[in-house]
Amino acid sequence: ENESMSDSLSDDCVSQEEDVMTPAELISKLEEAWLNEKFSPELLENRSEVVECVMEQLTHMESNLQRVKKGDAKASVHRMEIDRIRFVLSSYLRSRLQKIEKFFPHVLEKEKSRAEGQPSLLSPEEFAFAKEYYANTETYLKAVALKRMPPNLQAVDLLKAVPEPCLDSFVFLQVKERQENIFVEPETDDQREYVVDLEEGSQHLMRYRTIAPLVYSGAVQLI
Amino acid sequence: MFCEKAIELIRELQRNSEGQLPAFNEDGLRQILQEMEALYEQNQADVNKAKSAARSDLIPSIKLRHCCLLRNQRCIMAYLYDRLLRIRALRWEYGSVLPANVRFHMSAEEVQWFSQYKKSLASFMRSLGGGAGLDITQDMKPPKSLYIQVRCLKDHGEFEIDDGTVILLKKNSQHFLPRWKCEQLIRQGVLEHVVS
Amino acid sequence: MDTQSYCPVPPGVGMEENFLSLDDILLSHERLPVRTECVFPRLGFLEKSSDTQDIPEATKMELPLWLSKGLYERKRKVLSVELPKVYREGWRTVFTADPNVVDLHKMGPYYYGLGSQMLHFDSPENPDIAQALLQTFIGRFRRTMDSSQNAYNEDTSALVERLDSLEKVLFRSGQNGLNSFQSWEKGQASQLTASSLVLNYRKRKLADVQT
Repeated sequence: ENESMSDSLSDDCVSQEEDVMTPAELISKLEEAWLNEKFSPELLENRSEVVECVMEQLTHMESNLQRVKKGDAKASVHRMEIDRIRFVLSSYLRSRLQKIEKFFPHVLEKEKSRAEGQPSLLSPEEFAFAKEYYANTETYLKAVALKRMPPNLQAVDLLKAVPEPCLDSFVFLQVKERQENIFVEPETDDQREYVVDLEEGSQHLMRYRTIAPLVYSGAVQLI
Repeated sequence: MFCEKAIELIRELQRNSEGQLPAFNEDGLRQILQEMEALYEQNQADVNKAKSAARSDLIPSIKLRHCCLLRNQRCIMAYLYDRLLRIRALRWEYGSVLPANVRFHMSAEEVQWFSQYKKSLASFMRSLGGGAGLDITQDMKPPKSLYIQVRCLKDHGEFEIDDGTVILLKKNSQHFLPRWKCEQLIRQGVLEHVVS
Repeated sequence: MDTQSYCPVPPGVGMEENFLSLDDILLSHERLPVRTECVFPRLGFLEKSSDTQDIPEATKMELPLWLSKGLYERKRKVLSVELPKVYREGWRTVFTADPNVVDLHKMGPYYYGLGSQMLHFDSPENPDIAQALLQTFIGRFRRTMDSSQNAYNEDTSALVERLDSLEKVLFRSGQNGLNSFQSWEKGQASQLTASSLVLNYRKRKLADVQT
């Protein structure tokens, strides 16, 4: 039985629904966020509370590991666990960064037009990164080419030039909470739209656009 | 036909389909910009004639040249942008110090873009976890399990490992097993760690 | 399993092009048979066969897709675009009869891409063209994907030779999936390997030294 070296989480890392989240629950949340981000064609809401808590958790586990006697069998298991969590966290952040760069004008536009009180797509650090990426790229293209072109061709709308994420991509999903009456658009002209119920635990392959709201709400998990 | 140089630039990149960076084609870029200048001047002259001398018959040619201008602009943008994507990949695959032979293929402005990009990235990574920092350019692969090679010194019967697999530990059989599972049996003299 | 850090701008879906996509730019470079429906003054040099200063009305010539799209207007007589042979009724019948027989690389190489773009020119045959593209694709898809899953480490060049560019992309991603799966099975997935990008640069560096 793998014993986790982690004790209970510090007071900062509490979930909104319960009083305290166990380390196992935290890592589980990280893994869910990781898979969703990996398989979603668009950038999802930022989970910086999870990121911060996991990083605290890792620091905690590292210092615990220092106290273990060398050669103790448990040490290698806990080393593995730390490495594994760090891999998942890095992979999650990389997925997000990749999408931020890939869709940078759209991501920034979305953030700009966000209503008050709506959750932010980007963490503050990601927002800074995105703005720098935009400025860097725009400055470069202007200096090297656009400024040297005829006057009526010196502007390129990056929102039009850089494509948006393709929400019609198909994704695999697992249903966590039973959903009724999900409206599915027809694929071809001779099909008609239909309605489907998603049973808890079932797996499906569907267009992302159809089930995007269910990913946000946590009702389905992308796999 | 116009825009032949422009398609050449695109073909250059397409030939390097794995994402390597060919040398920056400064000459090619300059030639395309020159063609754009020429097309623009011809169009300016024709637009003036069309207005002042009521030469609306010139409009199809004006439109054609304008299409060529847009085409050249598009090809240049796509060429420069795709190169940036390749340069970006270098930060992730190579690291923050690029080998000389790659740098030679970059224009001064591309080197500048790269320098700014890695600064941004470094700043981002430093700020993670409330300032604790995390290098996300490491850990690109899931960690490998800690397995070791063992030889069985005496019959020990069936032995179950974590994923449900059952191994038969017969004297002299060799196995590749998770380290931590074996530690106790090694201590007991049932298994011997084989170091190759 | 390689971490893909270089992600080029993909081609547009269906009739759309992506402005920055290299694939779409190359696709739109393909030439189409057209007929001018008005005079193009002072551009006679574009039309190699005659020696006039202007391109006269009713001239038959070839123009790249990007220019044809740019000039074409539904309501005005500027240009009429002919269907390339492979999208006309004769060939459509051949394709739908046995789609797997055809060498789409020779007929293309952007058979589906160019076909989709042809729909911009308001031909009365558009519904039939669209249908033929779809049927051909469906007819060939099964065999393409099956081959991509069975051809691990075998020489696939004979197969791949006859694929159009879209099919090639699908084939390659099928192969990548297969290769990833196989190497995962063998426990190679977590092996730290030098990035293929780095290896390619090293190969070229050697080549540079040798020249």
